[in-house]
Amino acid sequence: MILTGILLAVVGLGLVGWFVGRGRARLLYDGRGSMHSMPTYHGWHLALWIVVPALVVWTAWSAIQPGLVEGALMADPVAATLPADAMHRSAILAEAHMLANDPGASVFNAQSQALAAPLRAIVTRFSLIGALLVAIVAFAGGAYGFTRIRARFEARTQVERAVMGVLLLASLIAILTTFGIVASLVFEAGLFFKDVSPIAFLTGTHWSPGNARGADIAENFGAVPLFWGTIYIGAIIAMLVAIPLGLMSAVYLTQYASRSMRKWLKPILEILAGIPTVVYGYFAALTVAPLVRDFAASIGMQNPSTESALAAGLVMGVMIIPFVSSMADDALAAVPRAMSDGSLALGATRSETIKKVLLPAALPGIVAGVMLAISRAIGETMIVVMAAGAAANLSANPFASMTTVTFQIVQLLTGDQEFNSPKTLSAFALGLILFIVTLVLNIIALRVVKRFREAYE
Amino acid sequence: MSNPQWQTPEARRRLARRHASERRFKALGLGAIVLSMAFLVLLLVIMLKNGLGGLDWSFLTGSDSTSPDMAGVWGAAKGSLLTMFVTLVLAFPMGVLAAIYLEEFAPKNKWIDLVEVSINNLAAVPSIIFGLLGLAVFINTLHLPRSSPVVGGLTLALMTMPVIVISGRNAIKAVPPSIREAAYGIGASKVQTTFHHVLPLALPGILTGTIIGMARALGETAPLLMIGMRAFVATPPGGITDPSSVLPMQIFLWSDEIDKGFVQNTSAAIIVLLVFLLAMNGLAIYLRNKFEVRW
Amino acid sequence: MTEPKLIARNVDVYYGEKKAIDNVSIDIDNGIVTAFIGPSGCGKSTFLRSLNRMNDTIAGAKVTGEILLDGEDIYAASMDPVALRARVGMVFQKPNPFPKSIYENIAYGPRIHGLAQGKAQMDEIVERALTKAGLWDEVKDRLSDAGTALSGGQQQRLCIARAIAVSPEVILMDEPCSALDPIATARIEELIDELKNSYAIVIVTHSMQQAARVSQRTAFFHLGNLVEYGETSQVFTTPREDRTKDYITGRYG
Repeated sequence: MILTGILLAVVGLGLVGWFVGRGRARLLYDGRGSMHSMPTYHGWHLALWIVVPALVVWTAWSAIQPGLVEGALMADPVAATLPADAMHRSAILAEAHMLANDPGASVFNAQSQALAAPLRAIVTRFSLIGALLVAIVAFAGGAYGFTRIRARFEARTQVERAVMGVLLLASLIAILTTFGIVASLVFEAGLFFKDVSPIAFLTGTHWSPGNARGADIAENFGAVPLFWGTIYIGAIIAMLVAIPLGLMSAVYLTQYASRSMRKWLKPILEILAGIPTVVYGYFAALTVAPLVRDFAASIGMQNPSTESALAAGLVMGVMIIPFVSSMADDALAAVPRAMSDGSLALGATRSETIKKVLLPAALPGIVAGVMLAISRAIGETMIVVMAAGAAANLSANPFASMTTVTFQIVQLLTGDQEFNSPKTLSAFALGLILFIVTLVLNIIALRVVKRFREAYE
Repeated sequence: MSNPQWQTPEARRRLARRHASERRFKALGLGAIVLSMAFLVLLLVIMLKNGLGGLDWSFLTGSDSTSPDMAGVWGAAKGSLLTMFVTLVLAFPMGVLAAIYLEEFAPKNKWIDLVEVSINNLAAVPSIIFGLLGLAVFINTLHLPRSSPVVGGLTLALMTMPVIVISGRNAIKAVPPSIREAAYGIGASKVQTTFHHVLPLALPGILTGTIIGMARALGETAPLLMIGMRAFVATPPGGITDPSSVLPMQIFLWSDEIDKGFVQNTSAAIIVLLVFLLAMNGLAIYLRNKFEVRW
Repeated sequence: MTEPKLIARNVDVYYGEKKAIDNVSIDIDNGIVTAFIGPSGCGKSTFLRSLNRMNDTIAGAKVTGEILLDGEDIYAASMDPVALRARVGMVFQKPNPFPKSIYENIAYGPRIHGLAQGKAQMDEIVERALTKAGLWDEVKDRLSDAGTALSGGQQQRLCIARAIAVSPEVILMDEPCSALDPIATARIEELIDELKNSYAIVIVTHSMQQAARVSQRTAFFHLGNLVEYGETSQVFTTPREDRTKDYITGRYG
């Protein structure tokens, strides 16, 4: 609480600094050309000197304070009564923290009551120390900044340098995110691969993490059925729907539709891409899956399941149509008009021109688009969670229930679970595989697209 | 005299065949579009048919409940609003600043290439991977409160930022160099030029991209499933650290209920979500049409 | 006197609201080269594209008046633009070989029109077209190479061969040398001279020297009007119209 308050105080102080700096600089103004920078920049400069060092100290203190509090509490005689068991101990400490913040909170452990009062005192003590430190740094920074306000001082250059720093930091977040993804996936998957060898994981054909216990644990983590289900639903069934429909839509929109027709049809088609996947998933489960099941029954399948690879794949394919269509649209548009002119001038019909000249010329772009579409389909989660099923079947029957990588990740990480069991860790291993595959597909596709564009420039 | 080569019955038949094939092909293209749209219409009609009856005031103002008649959507909607707020506050400034840096200031070197590759790939990483990141980093490492809008917003912000950066860069790129030269010409610094001239001109484009990215985040379910935003929330969350649900999650949870009454609720919640998305996309299109300048 | 191959009567061409060609009438004869000259934007290319209905492919383009090929109205409902374009071939400003092999570039036209029965006959058509275009000796050993791998001048001759392969009656050329160097240009001009015996050739050019070198008749277009049309020697030496004279002497352009 105190720390949050001091944060607001620092910002307020920065605001004051801005006005003070600007006001002071205005006093220095002595006719045209007398100052290097506008007074506003002196204001910014002073405000930055107040806020930035204080924020750094504040962040550092927030990070180390819990450790300091813990240490001080352990030194307190009351802490001697805490049980040795780590889990029990941390439960009590957590409750004590809750009580320290809110004396009215209800708790289970009586011991936490006893700890609350000393804990509150300790937290208050350290918070005050932190607040004091922050305040000192803010004022010291402000004082230094204030002394630098001179007519010839290049406040603008300094402020702009700070702006550049902020811009750079913002763009580094992307790398940080990528790094965070890779690090967390690799780390958790690494823990998993200690128990289950990557080879057993990648080549095993039996998947039932629920039974994974004891020495033969690896035998229950064979992920091949998941990979097959993912490919069958995302890269085969969905693409059988999305490629012809998406490609033909793009062909019609770019080659046949009048301008006004295109103006209307294209956004409507794009609505399909804007519908949340959970809605598709519900639609698949509610409408498409029963239809597929009835169809399966009518062609003589015995006890077809409601959850089927076909239902999930069909709906996923529809979801991907606008994506394929817009990639194909771009690819077709990148083929110079001279190509189709050349063909039409020979007396080819539109469709002959499209089939024999335009599509072959646009093929690299279209293939890249399909790769991106596949990468999107295999990473899609909600549709398969709601329509594909949990059974790890290694089957080519589209009416069979099939499971996917994303489905299993959800399955493994929701509901009751203890963290760090092979079961939950396997989800990260699956995530790692998914990440690598989509990454490779994307990189290849983007490279193909780039080379393809350059070829026609 | 006319070329006899084209007058033979054989040549005529061949031409007729080619034209028939042309018509078939064209019809196929139109058919593909019609089929896709038919699917869209079917989806909407079914949702409207199932859900419209459930859309009343108590549904719009209530929160989740074990009884379908009592259950409402406001608790989840408020969770969505809080989550979107966190996402917007984080992703928009970061995304815009990163876009400015990459487009206007970044030197050409390996590091910047790495940033660009990162951003392009992040935009295509499956959303569930962001959920795993959120789970591993925000919950298991930083111990932020599970199921809360703050974690959901953080996770979705990381997912949305690349979208904003990419659209932001395109919008900035579209501002012609002459504007920059004009500003330099009267002695503005590069930072001044960027923030006073380039950014305001690029803003409509950036906003359009931001709204589209936010709309995508609003409809997202999978990453939030990972960070446990599937709490049963009988009262709307009071702040960004309270356990909460979001609209798409509510749809997912209700869709799993056995009670038939929840079919209507699910569809009604879908209608609410789609109305939100439609409004956002409409706003984006409006902004684009109103402010977009063709240079 | 034989009948003119192409007769245009009171032709107007519109792009949307804009009138690009205004009331042009012209006769084009077999066995000679007719050049269209004029400053850029004068409509010469537009008019050329209306002679094989390539304007149909541009949204909003409209042609009125009459254009007769061997007495047949090419804009009549009974005229199939697909068949028409096989009879009136076209070569474009920038060489535009398809991204296929040299052989496939030539074979494409005959194949869609069904002009060859069997591989042997197709080989023969390809060889004849390439020979006529003066390219055979240069490419006969690498027919399966990509057409785009040839030099600019070779690509343009490939495009001419491609047009010849469907045995057209008229060949329209839209500034065929403007993207080429002088040596390649000279080569194409020789070719045009050889080809004129078998086809009616119409060439649009922005180079008056080229028009003077390759054509027997010259039409001068200005602001969508046909200003003057006559024997090339007459148009260049004793133009009847002041506008023609000003253009030829370089007052504007």
